[in-house]
Amino acid sequence: MSVLPQDIEKIINSSYEHGFVTDIDADTVPAGLDEAVIRLISSKKQEPQWMLDYRLKAFAHWQTLTGPVWAHLNIAPIDYQAISYYSAPKSKADGPKSLDEIDPQLLETYKKLGIPLEEQKALAGIAVDAVFDSVSVATTFRTKLHEAGVIFCSMSEAIREYPELVQQHLGSVVPYKDNFFACLNAAVFTDGTFVYIPEGVRCPMELSTYFRINEAKTGQFERTLIVAEKGSYVSYLEGCTAPMRDENQLHAAVVELIAMEDAQIKYSTVQNWYPGDTHGRGGIYNFVTKRGDCRGDRSRISWTQVETGSAITWKYPSCILRGNDSTGEFYSVAVTRGKQQADTGTKMIHLGRNTKSTIVSKGISAGEGQNTYRGLVRMSPRAENARNHTQCDSLLIGDQCGAHTFPYIEVRNPSADVEHEATTSKISEDQLFYCRQRGLSEEDAVSMIVNGFCKEVFNQLPMEFAVEAQKLLSVTLEGAVG
Amino acid sequence: MNMSETGRQWLHNLITQGQILPDQQLDWLDQNRQAAWQQMQSFELPDRKQEAWRYTSIDRLIKYNFLHTSELSEILPGTEIGEWILPDNSSYRLVFINGHCVPRLCNIQGLPRNVAIGCLRASMSTDGEVIRHYLSNPLFKQSSSTARDLFAALNTAYMDDGLFVHIPKNAALDRPIEVLHLNLAMDNELLILPRHLVVIDEGASATLIERYVSQGNHAYFSNNACDIFVNGNARLSHYRIQDESAQSHHLGRVNILQGADSNYKGVYLALGGSWSRCDIDARFSGKGAHCDIIGLYTVNAKQLTDFHLNVLHNHAHCSSRENFRGIIAGSGRAVFDGRIVVEKHAQKTDAQLTNKNLLLSLDAEVDTKPQLEIYADDVKCSHGTTVGQIDPKQVFYIRSRGIDEAMAKKMLCLGFAGEIFDQLDLPEVRSFVEQRVQNNLFAPQGQDVH
Repeated sequence: MSVLPQDIEKIINSSYEHGFVTDIDADTVPAGLDEAVIRLISSKKQEPQWMLDYRLKAFAHWQTLTGPVWAHLNIAPIDYQAISYYSAPKSKADGPKSLDEIDPQLLETYKKLGIPLEEQKALAGIAVDAVFDSVSVATTFRTKLHEAGVIFCSMSEAIREYPELVQQHLGSVVPYKDNFFACLNAAVFTDGTFVYIPEGVRCPMELSTYFRINEAKTGQFERTLIVAEKGSYVSYLEGCTAPMRDENQLHAAVVELIAMEDAQIKYSTVQNWYPGDTHGRGGIYNFVTKRGDCRGDRSRISWTQVETGSAITWKYPSCILRGNDSTGEFYSVAVTRGKQQADTGTKMIHLGRNTKSTIVSKGISAGEGQNTYRGLVRMSPRAENARNHTQCDSLLIGDQCGAHTFPYIEVRNPSADVEHEATTSKISEDQLFYCRQRGLSEEDAVSMIVNGFCKEVFNQLPMEFAVEAQKLLSVTLEGAVG
Repeated sequence: MNMSETGRQWLHNLITQGQILPDQQLDWLDQNRQAAWQQMQSFELPDRKQEAWRYTSIDRLIKYNFLHTSELSEILPGTEIGEWILPDNSSYRLVFINGHCVPRLCNIQGLPRNVAIGCLRASMSTDGEVIRHYLSNPLFKQSSSTARDLFAALNTAYMDDGLFVHIPKNAALDRPIEVLHLNLAMDNELLILPRHLVVIDEGASATLIERYVSQGNHAYFSNNACDIFVNGNARLSHYRIQDESAQSHHLGRVNILQGADSNYKGVYLALGGSWSRCDIDARFSGKGAHCDIIGLYTVNAKQLTDFHLNVLHNHAHCSSRENFRGIIAGSGRAVFDGRIVVEKHAQKTDAQLTNKNLLLSLDAEVDTKPQLEIYADDVKCSHGTTVGQIDPKQVFYIRSRGIDEAMAKKMLCLGFAGEIFDQLDLPEVRSFVEQRVQNNLFAPQGQDVH
């Protein structure tokens, strides 16, 4: 099986589509991290005292920690003092109330990214809380959501306007002591998204946030908190792109989901950050802590992710199945090519009775990519009749890549049923031959086979996202077959 | 003193107990020992922060002051081995007591010429070159080396006696080699450090049955290592049955190096011991080899049983199968860590790993971690693992046929283990293993099966 060498060359050398930098005068603090920087961030955001105390506590703890080394990743040492921890577009100063007030240059950026806000309003009923660097600058459909009682706003706004809700829930799923990157995030997070769905409300539309790292050398420390009260439902979409840069940009986000009794949260991600150039230079370091807490009985949290970007991905969306009969799901497609590395997977911690979890992980490695699934399934002694099914499949394209599987299974209850299966294979000559014989080009055939391989996961994505994800996958893998 | 201080003290005692290394007047041997001795000083005590010891705490070992002795003075003259050995003359038999060969109990009559079966200590003078050649094989050193951890270094530093098997080119051994490792637990807490070497030359074949058993109820720690070379086109069937007393601590390391087109079949059974761990490391030195490792562990009462498997596919066209099953009752804990690594150039590798566990009681625990690490694209690799319980419907079915509940569960457990039993090609071995599993699972302390 071969594609013409010049095609591969062309595609390999084609630059990152979304690689551009918008020239905006950003309000950036000098590089470095100490207490003063944290106080500055806090005061710039006009935060209450408790928030500042929380940050300082986290920072004090962070100084005692060292970065994790257990992942199957090759990470160049990160100089945390060389990063600027705050950057906000200046034009935001007074807080825009409508699109007219937004810096036209910003709007232009979004257009290039394919999310024109004007059209978004009319389109598909999606409310967009667009995050440009670290401060959210525009929020749409606020009114409609407001009528339903749903709170959908930036984290800094939430801290000011709904302090009691934030204080109650922030850090309750991912405490600042959780891990190195979560701790750093707790100390320096600049903005993020806050979603609150009141009891019995079914969120009237899919919520979506587009993240974009723009300012060079600015670490992005997003903090997302979603609280779904009793009997509510919300589906949240997260997608990201980042402009081309030559230095590694650090992204250490924290996402916390809380599902009360009978609540359901569906969290979908399409991640397409800059993966670095052909020599592996540049590219985003994506070290994210995502965790959902099924706090109430019969609650349900589902993570769906399509990871195609980033130089390094270190990400384990997890579910704590605390409530009885709660359900956790994890569907993932992770693609690595070029020199990308991904160490991703999930944790399913079964605490309650009759809890169920499903893990479907599809890893695709091409070029010199290294793709690792790392997952933990823990059945605690109280988790009677708990059930887990895990399936991890890896697809290898090319002989320079690697696919690895490291599942951890800990069972302390005899009534628990745990199944894990993993396979690793490549696209077989037979499959390709069959498709080509039917008149498909090699590229199309591979794209079709790969999409079939990932179908189980794509089926979980909301429709618009599924289309985008499929396209993304084909684009990503173009020319990867040789 | 807290645990870490106790641990440090324990480690200090272990490496400075000042035993004089037995003088064999072999420079290379002394150099190896000295090097291991030096390395040992630099190792930290394994703790649960280290990935290889994540689920296996050595706290139980630290409670004892194990002492190494190179002398074999107190062996009771009337030691009976009858209950552990195969019927007369069906095998070549070697008996080791506390790591030392006891010629009185051995039987190697009728051994073909050129075949060497004996104890390592005596063979140093007769087969010194062979032993030297294999123990300093650079390819092999990476895995078996002392460099790996404290306990491997400890074994090498005291390397003195153990099993030595050398089957010459194209020889097919007519009878199995039966090796009984009997540990007599005497008053002091013994540290036993046997070192075994098995070499099957090109085109030769043999069957080796190893049993680790114990007498007496005192604590001891057997830290043994076994290096196995199955050269090109050779074949080895290896049964390793660990069935020691409830006070025993057992750390076994088996390192296998297979030549081109060779075949190794290993059957590993862990049935007893308070704390037992076995690390199996297999790698290849040529194409087309097949490695088949199956295992069964039954864990009861407060036992801890740990298997660490590491199969490195470093040559193309090799295949491997690992199939381990475990039955965990009482407040037992089983740990399984199976790893398959396929290197870049090892195309056409075919590797499969299966681990199935049956939990019988509320306090039982299993931690399993099957891993695949693959750097080549034209491979077929898979692993599967399950943890479950006895299906109540199956119990109901059997009960509805007039069989009581305890019996029904017993039948189902034995059925679960049956897949492993079926792989035991020697009927004598199969019958005693089956018997032993039955007794082990349904001993009085195992009654909390529900």
